[in-house]
Amino acid sequence: MMNNRLKKIAALLVAGVMVIGMTLTGCGNSSSGSGGGSAKGMKIFFSTLTLDTFKGMLQDAVVEGGKEAGVTVDVGAECGSVDEQVAQIKQAVDAGYDAIICNPVDATTALQLEVTAGDTPILFVNSQPDEQYLEPDKYMYVGSYDKDAGNFQAEYVWNKLGQPSSMNIVLFQGEPGHPAAGLRTTAVKEYYKKNGIDVTFVFNDTAYWDTAKAAEEFKLFLKTKQPFDAVICNNDSMAVGVVQAMREVGLDPGKIPVVGVDATTEGCQSIIDGGMQFTVYQSATGQGAAAIQTAIALATKGTAKGIEGLTEDGYYVWVPYEPVDASNVKDYM
Amino acid sequence: MAKTEKSPKGTKTKKIKDKLLLFIVPAVVVTIIILVAISSFLSKSRLEEMARNELESSITNQADNIYAWLEQNLENFSTIKASLEGMDLDETYYEEVLTTFVGSNSNAPNGVYIATQSGKVYTGRGTDLSITNPTDQQWYKEGLSRINMAYGEPYKNDEGEYVISASGILNDGSDEIKVVAADVTLGKISIIVNSGVKMKNANSFLVDRNDMMVLAHRDSSLVSTTLTGSLGRPVMDGTYNAIISSDYSTTNLGQYTVAFKEIKGTDWLLVSYIENSVILANVTQLITILLIIGVVATILIVILVSAIIGRVIKPLSYITENIHAMSSGDFTIEVKNTSNDEIGVMGQQVGKFVGLMRDMLSSINDESEKLKEESDNSDQVSRVMFDASQSQESAMVNLNQTVDQLAIAVNEIAENATTLAMVVSDTKANSDTASERMAETVEISKSGRADMEKLSVAMGEIQAANQELVASVEKVGQASEEITNIVGMISEIAEETNLLSLNASIEAARAGEAGKGFAVVASEIGGLAKHSAESAQSISDLINQVRDQIEKVVSQADASAKSIEANGELIDAAVTTFDKIFENIESTSDVIKEMIADINKVDEVSTNVAAISEEQAASADEILETSKNMVEQAQAITQSSQDVADNSHQLANTSQTLTGYVQQFKIVKEDTDYDE
Repeated sequence: MMNNRLKKIAALLVAGVMVIGMTLTGCGNSSSGSGGGSAKGMKIFFSTLTLDTFKGMLQDAVVEGGKEAGVTVDVGAECGSVDEQVAQIKQAVDAGYDAIICNPVDATTALQLEVTAGDTPILFVNSQPDEQYLEPDKYMYVGSYDKDAGNFQAEYVWNKLGQPSSMNIVLFQGEPGHPAAGLRTTAVKEYYKKNGIDVTFVFNDTAYWDTAKAAEEFKLFLKTKQPFDAVICNNDSMAVGVVQAMREVGLDPGKIPVVGVDATTEGCQSIIDGGMQFTVYQSATGQGAAAIQTAIALATKGTAKGIEGLTEDGYYVWVPYEPVDASNVKDYM
Repeated sequence: MAKTEKSPKGTKTKKIKDKLLLFIVPAVVVTIIILVAISSFLSKSRLEEMARNELESSITNQADNIYAWLEQNLENFSTIKASLEGMDLDETYYEEVLTTFVGSNSNAPNGVYIATQSGKVYTGRGTDLSITNPTDQQWYKEGLSRINMAYGEPYKNDEGEYVISASGILNDGSDEIKVVAADVTLGKISIIVNSGVKMKNANSFLVDRNDMMVLAHRDSSLVSTTLTGSLGRPVMDGTYNAIISSDYSTTNLGQYTVAFKEIKGTDWLLVSYIENSVILANVTQLITILLIIGVVATILIVILVSAIIGRVIKPLSYITENIHAMSSGDFTIEVKNTSNDEIGVMGQQVGKFVGLMRDMLSSINDESEKLKEESDNSDQVSRVMFDASQSQESAMVNLNQTVDQLAIAVNEIAENATTLAMVVSDTKANSDTASERMAETVEISKSGRADMEKLSVAMGEIQAANQELVASVEKVGQASEEITNIVGMISEIAEETNLLSLNASIEAARAGEAGKGFAVVASEIGGLAKHSAESAQSISDLINQVRDQIEKVVSQADASAKSIEANGELIDAAVTTFDKIFENIESTSDVIKEMIADINKVDEVSTNVAAISEEQAASADEILETSKNMVEQAQAITQSSQDVADNSHQLANTSQTLTGYVQQFKIVKEDTDYDE
C-alpha cells in the first residue's frame, strides 16, 4: 500500500523535475531528465526540528528530489532548540551551501535565521513565518495554504450535515500562536460567515495538536451537555483523540462527523475504521519536492519564476491540499 | 595703448559670461524644477507610504499592546483558575479563596468568580457583583465552550456597564460543570485603544468581528453600536465590508487611510485611520519648502556660476588681450600662466605660439634680407650681362657687316675671275688665229721657196733684195725673241696666278678676317690679268709687225723674182736660205703652239679661279646668313638678359616688400610700448 503511494509520488516527482529541467535548459535542448547541467554540483542544506511522521516524509522528499536532480542535499541533525538551529544554519553558510531548506523550530525566529544565512536563500517549510519576514526569491515559504484546509473541512461538514442554516460545531485548535492553527480556524469561521450559516462554536479551544489532550477536553465538553453536530480539528491527531473519546462514551462517530487535517497514517486508518470521516492531505512529499525545486531554481537562476504554485507576490510556493474521505483514503496510505 | 584695448575686451568677456549664463541659468532652473517635481512626487509617495507604514506600525504596536494587556489579564485569571483546579477545594471554601484575589488585579477589581451548572454563584467578598441566573448569562454560555479561559462577547452587566468576560470551564475533575469568569470593562479597553495610538492625528476603534459591535471608540456614543455597512461613515462602513470580505489590507476609505489588525486570541479587529489631508499637509509643506529651496538654490547657483565663470574666464581675457596684440602684429608679448585648467593650457600654448612666431618671423626677416642682398647682386649681375650681350650684339652686327662686305668682295673676285677667264679665252682664240696665219705663212713660204727656185736668174738683185730680206728676217728674229720673252712672262704670270689662287682658296676657308687677304689676292689677280692682256696685245702687235715685214718680204721677193729669173743660181742660193727661213718659221710656229698651250692652261686656271671664287661667294653668303642668325641670337640674348635684369629687379623689389611686411611684426620688445 505504502509502496504504491511512494511509487506514484516518485513518478510525479520525476515528471515534475523533468518539467523544471526543461524550463531550466530551455525548449530547444533535449534534457536528460534529471535537471539541467547547471544544477550539478549544487549543495543544498536541510535543517529541521525534531521529526514526526509528517516532517520525516517531508525531509525524505527533499532528499529524494535532490537525488533526482543530481544535487547534493545534506541533512543537519534534528534541532531541539532555536539556538541549535541558528548554529546549524551558520555552519551551513560557512560551508558554502547554495541554498538552505529550513523547517524552523520556531517560525517567529525567521528573522534571526535569515540574518544568520546572510546572502544564502532560505526556503521555509512546514511552519510558516510571518509575511513581513519573507522576501521574493530570497526567503520564501514552501507549504500548503492552511486556509484551504480549513475551507475544505468547513465545506465538507456543512455538506455532510445537509447544508443546514445553523450548526453547533466543536472546534479543536492546534497550539496557540501556531500559524497553521490560526489560519485553519479562521478559514472555518470565515467560510460559514461568508455563506451566511449561523454557526455556534459550542466548544472552541486548543488541544495543542495532541490526541490525548483532545480526548480529555472532548470528554469534559460532553459534561456540559451542549448539543453539537460536528467536530472540526486543526489536525488528525486531535481528531483521532475525539474519535477515541466518542467511542469511550458510546457516541457513534459515523453519525457525528469528526474531521482533521494532514491525512496521517492514523488519520487515514481512522477513516477506514469508520472513525474520522474526513481529512485534508497535506502533501509532505509534494512540499519537499517543491522545496528542493525552488531551492535549485534560486541557486541556479536566482529566481523562483516558473515554479508551480508560486504566488503573485512571490512570497509563497503553495502545494495544494487534497481532500480525503472514505472514497479516496486508500490512495493516501 | 593697453587702456584703449581694454574696453573692447571687457565687452567680449561680458558676452561669454552672458552666453554661459544664458545657457546655464535656464538649465539650472529647469533642472531644479524637475528635481523639485521629482522629489515632490517621490516625497509624496514616500510620505504616503511612510504614513501607511507608520499607521500599520502604529496599529500593530497597538494591537500587540491590547493583546498583551488582554493576555496579561487572561494569564492572571488562568493562574487563579489553575490554582483553583489544583487545590481540589470543596465549594464551601470558594468564597474564602476568591476573596484573596479581589483587588489583586486593578483591571478586574472584582477578581474571579465561579458559577455552577446548578446555578450557584461564588464571588469574593467585597465585590459589587450581583449575579442571578448565572447559567443564562452570556459569559457562562461562552465559558462552556472552552477549558482555557478566553474573552467572550461584550455585554452590559447588571450595573449597566459594558464588560467583557473571560471565562472557561473549571476543570476540577468533578462531574458538575463550573465556569470560571472574570470581567474587564470596555471602558478600560477603550482607554487603551484611544490612548495607545502611536501615530499623531490617527484614530482607532475596536470592532468585534462576530457581531460587528464597536467595542471601543474615541466617540463614546459609538461604543457598543453595531456596524451595518450603511452608517454613512466611510471608515465604519468600509470596516464592515472588510470584515465581510476578510480583506484586512490597508486601504483608502473616503478621506481616510485605514489600517486593520486582528487582535490575536480574540475575534476583535482593531481599526486605525488617519485623514489623508493630514498626510498631505506634510507633503504640501514639504513641496513648499522644496520650492523655496529650489528658488534659493537657483539664485545661489546663478550667483555662484556667475562668479565661477568670471573667475574661470579671467585668464581668458588676458589671453584675448594677448591674441589681440598678436593680431595687430605684436609678438613681443609674454603670456603668463596663471591657471592649471584648459584655459591655462591655452595660455601656455598661446605663449609657445608667440615664441614660435617670434623665432619664425625673425628668421623670415633674416632670410628676406639675405634674399634682398642676393637679388640686388643678381640685379647687378644681370645688368652686367645685359651690357655684355648688348656689346656682343653690336659686335655681331659689325661682324655681319664685315661678312657682308667680304661677300661682296668675294663676288667681285668671282666676277673678275670670270672676266679674266673670258679674256684668257679670247686670247686663246686670237693665238689660234695666229697659229693658222703661221701655217698659211709656212705654206706661202713653201710656195715662195718654189718660186725662188724658179727665179734663179737675177741673183744679184735678189742678193740685194735678199740682203734686205735678211735684215727683215733679222727683225722678225728680234720680234720672235721678244715673243719668247713675253711667253716667258706669261708663264711666270700663270705660275703666280696659280699660287695666288691657292692662297685665295686657303684664305677663303677662313671666315671673317680672311676678307682683307682676299682683297689683296683679288687685286693681284686683277694686276696679273692686266699684264696678261698687255702681253697678249704686245704679241698681237708683234705679229702684225711680222706680217708687215712678211708683206715687204713678198714685195721684195717679187722684185727679186725678176732677179731670180735673171739669176737662177741666186735663187737656188735663195732657196737654201729660204729653207732655213722656213725652218725658223716652223720653229716659231711651234713656239706659238706652245704659247697657246700655256694660254689654255691659264684659261683653265682662271676658269677654276672663277668657280672657286663663286663657291667662296656662296660660302660667304652662308656665313652672312649665319652671322645674321647670330645677330638675332645676340639680340634675343640681349632681350633675355634684359628680362633677367627686369626679374632680378622685381625680385629685389619683392624682397624689399617682404622685408617691409616682416618688419611690421614686432619681435623685439620696444621699451617705449610698455612705459606707462
